[in-house]
Amino acid sequence: MSPLLEVKGLRRDYGALRAVDDVSFHLEPGSILGFIGPNGAGKSTTLRILATLDSPTAGEVLLGGHSLVDTPDRVRPLIGYMPDRYGTYDDVTVFEFLDFFARAYGLTGAKRRQRVESVMGFTGLGPLADKLTTALSKGMRQRVALGRTLLHDPQLLLLDEPADGLDPRARIELRELLRALADQGKAVIISSHILTELAEICDTCAIIEQGRLLATGRVEDILRQGASVAAVELMVRLAVGAEADAAWARAERLLLEQPRVARVSREGESLRVGLELEAGAGAGQVDAAAAGLLSALVTAGLPVCSFGMRERNLEDAFMTVTKGRLA
Amino acid sequence: MSAPVETSTGAGTEVSASVEAADASTAGLSFQERWGDRLNPLVVKEVRQGLRTRVFWACFGLMLLACLVLALVAFVHTREEAFAHHGQGYFFAFFICLAVVHFFVIPYSAYRSLAREREDDTWVLLVLTGLGPRRILRGKVSSFLVQAALYASAVGPFLLFSYYLNGISLPSILAVLGLGGAWLVFLTVVAVCAATLADSRMGRAFVHFVVLGVLGLAFSAALGISGALSDSGNRLLSNDGVHLAMGIGLGLMLLDGWLLFEVAASRLSLSTEDYTRGPRRVMVVQMLVALVVGLGFWWHEDQGHVVTEIFAVCGTLHLAVVGLFVVTDVDGQARALRAATGPVSLFRPGALRGFRLTMLLLVGWAGVWAALALVSGKTNHGSESMRMLMAVMPAYVILYLSLALVLGRMPRSDRFSSPASVRLLFVAAVGVAAGLPPLVAALVGIEMGDPLLNLLNPVVGIANFGAHDYATAEPGMAWPLVAFVVGVALLVAFMADRVLVEREKRAHLP
Repeated sequence: MSPLLEVKGLRRDYGALRAVDDVSFHLEPGSILGFIGPNGAGKSTTLRILATLDSPTAGEVLLGGHSLVDTPDRVRPLIGYMPDRYGTYDDVTVFEFLDFFARAYGLTGAKRRQRVESVMGFTGLGPLADKLTTALSKGMRQRVALGRTLLHDPQLLLLDEPADGLDPRARIELRELLRALADQGKAVIISSHILTELAEICDTCAIIEQGRLLATGRVEDILRQGASVAAVELMVRLAVGAEADAAWARAERLLLEQPRVARVSREGESLRVGLELEAGAGAGQVDAAAAGLLSALVTAGLPVCSFGMRERNLEDAFMTVTKGRLA
Repeated sequence: MSAPVETSTGAGTEVSASVEAADASTAGLSFQERWGDRLNPLVVKEVRQGLRTRVFWACFGLMLLACLVLALVAFVHTREEAFAHHGQGYFFAFFICLAVVHFFVIPYSAYRSLAREREDDTWVLLVLTGLGPRRILRGKVSSFLVQAALYASAVGPFLLFSYYLNGISLPSILAVLGLGGAWLVFLTVVAVCAATLADSRMGRAFVHFVVLGVLGLAFSAALGISGALSDSGNRLLSNDGVHLAMGIGLGLMLLDGWLLFEVAASRLSLSTEDYTRGPRRVMVVQMLVALVVGLGFWWHEDQGHVVTEIFAVCGTLHLAVVGLFVVTDVDGQARALRAATGPVSLFRPGALRGFRLTMLLLVGWAGVWAALALVSGKTNHGSESMRMLMAVMPAYVILYLSLALVLGRMPRSDRFSSPASVRLLFVAAVGVAAGLPPLVAALVGIEMGDPLLNLLNPVVGIANFGAHDYATAEPGMAWPLVAFVVGVALLVAFMADRVLVEREKRAHLP
């Protein structure tokens, strides 16, 4: 299948700051690309360029074979952009909001009404048509914003942090909507720093940090990258009160002193440990390394309450690829 | 744009909608719907939104209540005196009720509407629809004018009622309402333009206060003029000077309103759009209209020298102010625009083309009025000095605009190269050049206005060149000094041009 979107050597400088540096990737119709990176990595800048809101310092972007840099007006109707802020108006109902944008996109008469109703049906907003947008929950406002993005039937959807601030139910519903859109043949790019949700939605992902694309490809391939690191989650019972911070710091230090421990991060009452293994290490070697670590911790007197191997996820892949250098 | 058959997932309901199928039913649309389709979408949305706001209903209610109370007072007051002349006072009182809304609430609401659009990032969503900044701004302005018309429709009967109270003529009422309408449109455009000026939070807060202040002053000015017109309208309206002032005022509102509108549209355009075409075209049109008007005056005044002096000086000052914003555009332009940009595409984005256009206009303007001054019949003792002034004034403008560009954009560092920085450099350069020579003169014990020391002083220098020594019947300065100032200005302008060429090349590097 020929790619709908081709990004080649994209670069964007703001004075001396290089926000996006030599970013290249492509996207087929019907696929969902997760654009992953910490805050300030260059995700939003890249999306703004793809949305024709900004022009790159160098590089080329082809959408449906047309240059987005040279002919932005021509490709703009093919793009649906949803910024990280939903952008709804006060004192308008859901129907009026969508109707306004449908008018702005040049839809007229019965065609416009039909299109608005179709979008409201698709996003499940039908029963809320007469509600003011300000009276909606965050999840519903986000649906309104998605509905606005779909009004002109774009081929490429650019969604900047669409799940930010949504409750779990709204996230699951969003996931279903996006999957349905991809099934219709639309290409979707989602930027996010919430990695767990992306792994479930995306077919492919691109990891960006400090403006540079560090890894790109199918999610399974990305997960396999740096698979020489195994994740162990352990829970320890430490002192509470004034000495708690010092005790946690001691525990982390102790862990980092152990052989094969590549990194340690704290999550509530748990510690997540990355074990470095030889390339192509089998399950037996992973188990042996984990057992060695547990034995060492018990010997050192660390009160371990639970200890277990954790399945590798996109977050681990991200940490491996970026080497933990978060901006 | 066609829409495919869609399947609902989110709400779990199945929706099958072929939009093409809906086209067939377009014929069944009501006249109202068909008419609504032709309207600017912003007008529909803003009016819907505006009519739901508390501000609208509060203002509308209070205004109507005030008018009703006034009408009752007028009725009681005039019941016994059928032939008394109370119309003037009551007309003015009704007009004040309308003026509060028209000259303050409406422009301020327009300002807030666009400012919120930018603060909430809904602006980009509008731009992506393909509506275009001009159409969006037209929609914004029109929607607030529709709301203004609704207010006016409520006060209209009361204004008419004041006519029947005697004491005010119909021409006076029409003049006040006509000028008031023009003032309303102008203030709304100014407010909308102001909403585009600042990007940062601090900047927006500053602009907000400025807008409130300006609207307060505009309201007071409107009351002053309408008070004078309603008070002695007949006498004023029969005066040619007042006609001329009204004509000039309306002309300035029209041309400057247009310029501000284009500036706002330009500021809201994307960098990939030809965002400078509008403002630069208006700038040229303004100068051409001013030229035609000036020629008319010059002919009407029997080719008088004074007309050439006034138009030369005012036009140069106008070009200095507008030019400062045109020459400080960013360097280069988006790749999408480069292919169609030729050497004479002076309306296209980029500081280089803005600079060349401004220089051409300054030189052209000075040339035309200098030529007319030479053939002018009526001259006086000071004519020679004024000719010198007409020659050096554009030179000073060229010199300091160019100097600011050289200072800001010649260094390889981008520290002072932003449009705002270069404008500040211009102000600083003019300030230093105006203040330093008199200070030095005072320190070394020579006359503060010394002609040679102040030769490049944009304030004292201009005053020196315009001065005429009546004792000797000679001009205060000599033509070689004019040539020197012009020479320096052209040299610095050449430097600025080269700097901008170099920076554009750098900006266009891949």
